[in-house]
Amino acid sequence: MSQTAQIRQAARELLQGKAVECVIGYERGTDGVNARPFFAYEAAEADRLIFDQTCTHDLAKYLLNRKGKSTAIVVKPCDSRAINLLLNESQIQRDKLHIIGVVCPGVVERRWGTPGAKQLNACQVCQQHTPVVYDTLVGQPVSEPAVADPYPDVAGMEAKPADERRTFWEEQFSRCLRCYACRQACPGCYCPECFAERLDPLWVGIRIAPGENEVWNTMRAFHLAGRCIGCYQCEQVCPVNIRLSLLNRKLEKDVLGMFHFQAGMDAESPPPFSTYQKDEKLGIGE
Amino acid sequence: MARIGVFICHCGTNIAGTVDIGRVVEAAGQMPMVVHAADNKYNCSEPGQALIRDAIAEHRLSRVVIAACSPRMHENTFRKTVAAAGLNPYLLEMANLREHCSWVHSDGKEAATTKAIELIRMAVSKVARHEKLFPKQVSLTKRALVIGGGISGIQAALDIANSGYKVVLVEREPTIGGRMAQLDKTFPTLDCSSCILTPKMVDVAQHANITLLTSAEVKEVKGFVGNFEVSIVQKARKVDHAKCTGCGICWQKCPEKAPSEFDMGLGKRSAIYIPFPQAVPPKPVIDTANCRYHKHLRFVEEKREGKPPPQCRVCEKLCPVGAIDWEQKDEVLTEKFGAIIVATGYKAFEPAVYAELGYGKHPDVITGLEMERMMSASGPAGGDVTRPSNGEHPRDVVFLTCIGSRDEQRGRTYCSKVCCMYIAKHAIILKEHYPDVQCYVFYMDVRAVSKDYEEFYKRAQESGAIYIRGKVSGIRQEDGRLVVRGEDTLLGEMVEIPADMVVLAVGMEHSPGSAELAQALKVSYDINELFIEAHPKLRPVETMSDGVFVAGACVGPRDIPESVASGSAAAAKVAALFSQEFLTTDPMVASVDQMKCGGCLLCTKVCPFKAIDTQVLRDGRTVAVVNESLCKGCGLCVATCRFGAANLRGFTQQQLLAEVTSLWQ
Amino acid sequence: MAIDFEPRIVGFLCNWCSYAGADMAGTARICYPSNIRVIRVPCSARIDPLLVVKAFQLGADGVLVAGCHPGDCHYTEGNYYSRRRFALLYPFLEYLGIEKGRLRLEWVSASEGRKFSHVVSSFTEGLVSLGPREKVPAEGALP
Repeated sequence: MSQTAQIRQAARELLQGKAVECVIGYERGTDGVNARPFFAYEAAEADRLIFDQTCTHDLAKYLLNRKGKSTAIVVKPCDSRAINLLLNESQIQRDKLHIIGVVCPGVVERRWGTPGAKQLNACQVCQQHTPVVYDTLVGQPVSEPAVADPYPDVAGMEAKPADERRTFWEEQFSRCLRCYACRQACPGCYCPECFAERLDPLWVGIRIAPGENEVWNTMRAFHLAGRCIGCYQCEQVCPVNIRLSLLNRKLEKDVLGMFHFQAGMDAESPPPFSTYQKDEKLGIGE
Repeated sequence: MARIGVFICHCGTNIAGTVDIGRVVEAAGQMPMVVHAADNKYNCSEPGQALIRDAIAEHRLSRVVIAACSPRMHENTFRKTVAAAGLNPYLLEMANLREHCSWVHSDGKEAATTKAIELIRMAVSKVARHEKLFPKQVSLTKRALVIGGGISGIQAALDIANSGYKVVLVEREPTIGGRMAQLDKTFPTLDCSSCILTPKMVDVAQHANITLLTSAEVKEVKGFVGNFEVSIVQKARKVDHAKCTGCGICWQKCPEKAPSEFDMGLGKRSAIYIPFPQAVPPKPVIDTANCRYHKHLRFVEEKREGKPPPQCRVCEKLCPVGAIDWEQKDEVLTEKFGAIIVATGYKAFEPAVYAELGYGKHPDVITGLEMERMMSASGPAGGDVTRPSNGEHPRDVVFLTCIGSRDEQRGRTYCSKVCCMYIAKHAIILKEHYPDVQCYVFYMDVRAVSKDYEEFYKRAQESGAIYIRGKVSGIRQEDGRLVVRGEDTLLGEMVEIPADMVVLAVGMEHSPGSAELAQALKVSYDINELFIEAHPKLRPVETMSDGVFVAGACVGPRDIPESVASGSAAAAKVAALFSQEFLTTDPMVASVDQMKCGGCLLCTKVCPFKAIDTQVLRDGRTVAVVNESLCKGCGLCVATCRFGAANLRGFTQQQLLAEVTSLWQ
Repeated sequence: MAIDFEPRIVGFLCNWCSYAGADMAGTARICYPSNIRVIRVPCSARIDPLLVVKAFQLGADGVLVAGCHPGDCHYTEGNYYSRRRFALLYPFLEYLGIEKGRLRLEWVSASEGRKFSHVVSSFTEGLVSLGPREKVPAEGALP
């Protein structure tokens, strides 16, 4: 049975049995090629659900609007880590949730009207093809070959001289429109009021200028330190193609190296900034 | 709009000698919102303070910047000054022109003046964002908890009780008395230890204001100064102390014997027992590990093979009042207290790590505390000191000091303070009892620093004890005797001394469970698991946890007079605390803006003082809320909070950002 | 490189140890360069990384964060958290092109006036040799 058929069957049973009020999944978009988010409330709607390589969205973000309501959700492995993140941060309740986890070989870049061919940057370096948490698993779990250097992109950046890095990021940030699409797409960005939009204290000035852009992009990434689950939706939605994943992945790499922590692998481990080891050596203040 | 006044202090020439005050006054006067800038020879002097008060009235100032010395020096002084002028005392900020500027940049007047101006600009930007803060008043429970029933706990409990306040004294052993009860005589007066201690123990038992809980341990501590809520586990004694009269028939008739903890294993006690005859309360407990009936019960419960041991239950049959209660279980009592005194004392260092000394291998190598029990007239040997190996009187006795003390490798780094003196005491008493005994003492240094101690040490030498400066490298057995081999560093040669007994002057260590208790009380402890005082010199019985005090050897090695003094000192602190009708809390604490809180609740997890609770709002959102009485104002929650919902009064995000920003304005 | 370059340093010092240590340097008259501007905070754990990022954006040449030695925190454990926070921020800022020597975390106790003076001196020297930070192009000068 195909993944789509399995998802439809699971969704139909859940809605028929009134186990959940809503199933969040993907359906075919209006261009007939790409996928878009879909909310099924009736068993009859289950057949609109699909799953294929165009299902790029991280649907976990939508759970934040359904707090306390019984919901089923279709998740890729990265999205399943977002669910653990949100559970860890007391944002959602596990007992209200039915997770339909999908084994995912990776998804492709969106292009209007034509099927994308290039896998997302995130997917090219992905090391988690089976969801880390699920109630129903769609597809066969795959073994993950150990990767010698999981962060070649970050290492390449680190190897550059400081002024080259500075020039690179200045150029990247200079393009930022501060549309905050990266924030809107991110399952970990759910502050009631974003620091970038606060007037008092005024952390980030209103003007679109390099200095302000730099503070925004630095702190957006740093607020996700130890929290980014690697879906890189931020980069996917950025209209000016800023390499946001390069920022997130640098922090991911260091969090893993220093604190041996990966966000969203379970819902219980304390995130790196909420715990400490008395005698850890972190290469600073020693 | 704020009306800010800046008062720049010359501090004689301390500041004015390096900083160009005239330029600073001029620059300060032009800063935004500053309506008055003036200099003053000494801001902190009474005329100086009067000038500030007058200026506040004359210029209708709403905020004040004092540019003078460190706020750690005089912030409180100037808070009172502005309060006297009718301003909220928290509408004050200090710029540190002395310690952070004039005193360290005396080589460059220009640079120091520029820095002084910038420091004032930072303070001005910060003070503009100050808010009025009001300390809160909270009621308090005038009842103290004393943890540990040794001499310092006893002293503290009696002193508080005599001040008219209720006290609960919790002791983990079946009796109070602690280590002092085990001692034979006390140095340097050679008073009989139990003769001076037991009357105090009886006072505790009889005092109307003291509730004694023995065989009990503190499990959990919630709350804060004035209002602690403490869970205490009353361990099952299997004897109903309300019925028991302490007649003693049970422990006389109990057939099962076990090594006596009180006698350091040198004597035996029954399975139902009181630790020693003068124990308080004088009522027994059943040691279920050794009790025959409990052995029988465990055998049946674990469904072991074979014939179960007989059910003894002799105590139950003989007890005239039916006090034996086999069903008794551990009970948890939750009580409220306004203050807590920790007096958990010490345990003796375990000398087994010094394998070369053969403790545990040679029966005639004993510890100082074992010697105390041996010497005690009420001890297992009735005060007769004999060799454990053959029961004969020893002729040559060698003492080794600093066992476990002043040793970075295998022991503790600190000096245990009492060992030199108790060795001297042992030598003097041995010589008195057995004139033919020869005592030798291997020592590193003799430390005899309190009143009459040096004289006491001299007395030990005059009694014939031979002091050899050096360390012992090994003890071996030869012809039924011990040979102690060590170096005499004064003569620079190796010596070997044949001995009948060797006494190890073991030092003091934290009592077991200290770290757990410290964590429950949120009191800091050092790497030796000794409690840390709020200040080693000036606040020796307070801790950084308000309302929690420390007394006795749980802070570090102490002798009896010091333990008693610290017990009394802690009691005085408690009495002073209880003399108030209300407690005032520091208003510079954290707060959470509920509208901005996203409910990740990380702050509740990181708060070192468990001062952040959760609250469910009417719209269903769960948010964090600060318990202001518990908050100490560290601000960890503020840096943890991504939402920008947590803030710290007096050091708000707005204020700190204003300080940073002012540097580039 | 300009020889008379005077770096601007923002120092966040915890009230109980490092601020007191700086006071101690003053009391003992142990001189150090005047480039540092001290902001007093109750604990190093109070320092939001945003403040550091903001200081760099505004033009700070260096940022010093100083707190109690591990194990000595007035609030028992605050500095362990700040150590983690800055251990991560430090390589991240470096990654963004803010050189290694520009952010420094130090433990200075209330009795270490000499150490405080030494830290500020060596930090200032390091910043002088690094030179001024390359200015982010002003508004309107977008590439």
